[in-house]
Amino acid sequence: MKFVSRHCLWLAFASAIAVMALSGAPAQADDVIKIGAPLALTGPLAVESKKQEVVWNMWVAKVNASGGINVGGKKMNVKLVEYDYQSDGQRAAQLAEKLITDDKVNFLFAPFGSGHTKIVASVAERYQMPLIACSSSAETVYNQGFKYLFGLLAANGASNAIIVKYIKTKAPSIKSIAIYGRDDVFPKSMASGVAEAAKAAGLNVAYNNYYPVGTIDHSSGLSAIKAAKPDWIYVTGYTSDLILIRKQMSDLGVTAPVVTMVAGPAYKEYTDALGNLANGITSWTWWHPAVNYQGVGVWPTTQSFVKDFVAKEHVEPDYIHASCAAAGVILANAIERAGTLDHQKVRDALASTNITTFYGPIKYAANGLNEAGSIPIIQIQNKQIKVLYPDGVKNADLELMK
Amino acid sequence: MLYVQMLVNGIMLGALYACLAIGFSLVWGVLNVINMLHGSLLVLGGYLTYTAWHDYGVHPLIALFAVAFALFLLGYAIQRILINRVVDMPVLVTMTLTFALDLILYNFMIVYFTATPVRVTLNLGVIDAGGIFVPVDRLAGMVLALLLTGLLYVVLRRSRIGRAIVAVRMDRSAAMLMGIRVEHIYAITFGIGALMAGATGAVFAMVYPMTTDLDFTFLGKAFIVCIIGGLGSVQGALVGGLVLGLVESIAGQFLGPQYALTAGFALMLVLLVAMPTGLTGVKGFE
Repeated sequence: MKFVSRHCLWLAFASAIAVMALSGAPAQADDVIKIGAPLALTGPLAVESKKQEVVWNMWVAKVNASGGINVGGKKMNVKLVEYDYQSDGQRAAQLAEKLITDDKVNFLFAPFGSGHTKIVASVAERYQMPLIACSSSAETVYNQGFKYLFGLLAANGASNAIIVKYIKTKAPSIKSIAIYGRDDVFPKSMASGVAEAAKAAGLNVAYNNYYPVGTIDHSSGLSAIKAAKPDWIYVTGYTSDLILIRKQMSDLGVTAPVVTMVAGPAYKEYTDALGNLANGITSWTWWHPAVNYQGVGVWPTTQSFVKDFVAKEHVEPDYIHASCAAAGVILANAIERAGTLDHQKVRDALASTNITTFYGPIKYAANGLNEAGSIPIIQIQNKQIKVLYPDGVKNADLELMK
Repeated sequence: MLYVQMLVNGIMLGALYACLAIGFSLVWGVLNVINMLHGSLLVLGGYLTYTAWHDYGVHPLIALFAVAFALFLLGYAIQRILINRVVDMPVLVTMTLTFALDLILYNFMIVYFTATPVRVTLNLGVIDAGGIFVPVDRLAGMVLALLLTGLLYVVLRRSRIGRAIVAVRMDRSAAMLMGIRVEHIYAITFGIGALMAGATGAVFAMVYPMTTDLDFTFLGKAFIVCIIGGLGSVQGALVGGLVLGLVESIAGQFLGPQYALTAGFALMLVLLVAMPTGLTGVKGFE
């Protein structure tokens, strides 16, 4: 008797759990939009990837606090499902597949950088899963014929012609350029692109060389640049390369009226590590807090996003923060316009996007690149980033370095 | 003028390479352990120095001694507690163990320090010697590197513990028979290797932007320096470092910066075939 009653008790308990699980699971799945995010939370890309995680969580909290996304008249909350792929591209692909097949996410956010975005995009394409990429700008990622990949950043190529034209207009005395680029996918494409743009604009390319990944001394390259006496020095690389190169330029007395470095100066750590040596360096970026856009989404203005971000992180956001937060905004906008979570319909809504957000205008070319994206040119003046171009958002004029 | 600048650049770089490799060479030569942890210990030294300077206002030259001592203790403990258990096993086992330790330390640093590049911005200025530019911080780094190298040389030659290390390196069994506590000497040697890595990291933090990703870059340089100069001796690391610095500087000037690293690797390959003991190496340490 005692056994039977205990047995019945366990049975009742197990049944209750099962009923709760069965009744709860579909409701949960129906009420929540799940977005998968393979993130490089450890390994060499950890710093950049954590920026993505911070703003995606900010966006999720903001959307849910506002009642959720309107899907065909029904408000649905958003949930981020993330995994750490340890900065390993192959692992990113495996986890993207797991997110799609095991976790059954509705949409995907791409990992950091062009290389890993390209890998994950091929998985997303196989499952016809809309993928929003907020930190990939290389044309080689978008020219694969993918139909479900949509980016935020303007294409790399456009930036070279813009900056060459700007410098030639503002500093007509510039006749020659020295180009020193890191022998790596993005920096090399930027260095070769600016060499072509400079030649097309009639500048004399006095020096054009690459340095290998892993270089911890740039004395020989910089000594050769010094001997070439260029009017403009254009260096590409990642932040630690550019800090070292700027320092060694000062050590070796390498100067020019214009020194451009891509893309470190957009980050606060560049100025922190260099102090006054950062002053005068020009660069370009995809976004800056000084731009002032009004648009759709949970952040109606650039200032509202900057204010929320500073309140949470106590530093100003950079372009990665902004573009990744905007990834959420454009996905929500596409879902609301589609009125469904159906992949094909949301994909079509994304493809027809023509909106302005706090990040800037978004309009997609056939290959998924944001063709409306702008490329502000910046210069560090008194250890502050000033916007030189475009005219609508500029807050300073170009200052020559000597 | 350009050529003189090239030589000055090469020598200053070479002294730093020597300092970077010396601890690695000593551990390899004495313990026969390829210490994959060496690059991360160097990065740790750099970050600790930066933290002491940035967060607590401690001058990096003072922090250097505290950091070196802390890393000596860490190295001693690692050898005594972990590596000592497998030190007699084939070199692949100890290499795998130190590689695992490297992964742990690397990820710890990523989480604790983040991979953001940091630099001790002393900005000590530049000496302009008739058009030859010598950055003072690099010069100070070079002098420090040479002082540390010289100090280690004296310790190994003159002190009781140094002579014990040399004795263990030359003949472990004979050293044991003479009453030397080999396990203790192993731990001291590993500790000195970590100490040199920590001190070099402190010097590098004054000259280079440090990021956690530099661990394998430093380790790779240490490998090349050891193979060029020869294993297990101070003079081997010094010669190897200076030769590598000069080769990279000259190749970078004449062939272009993209060939500077290739030239270093090419020299290493030639020496592996022609002189397996390195330029100053002792027979038996191929």
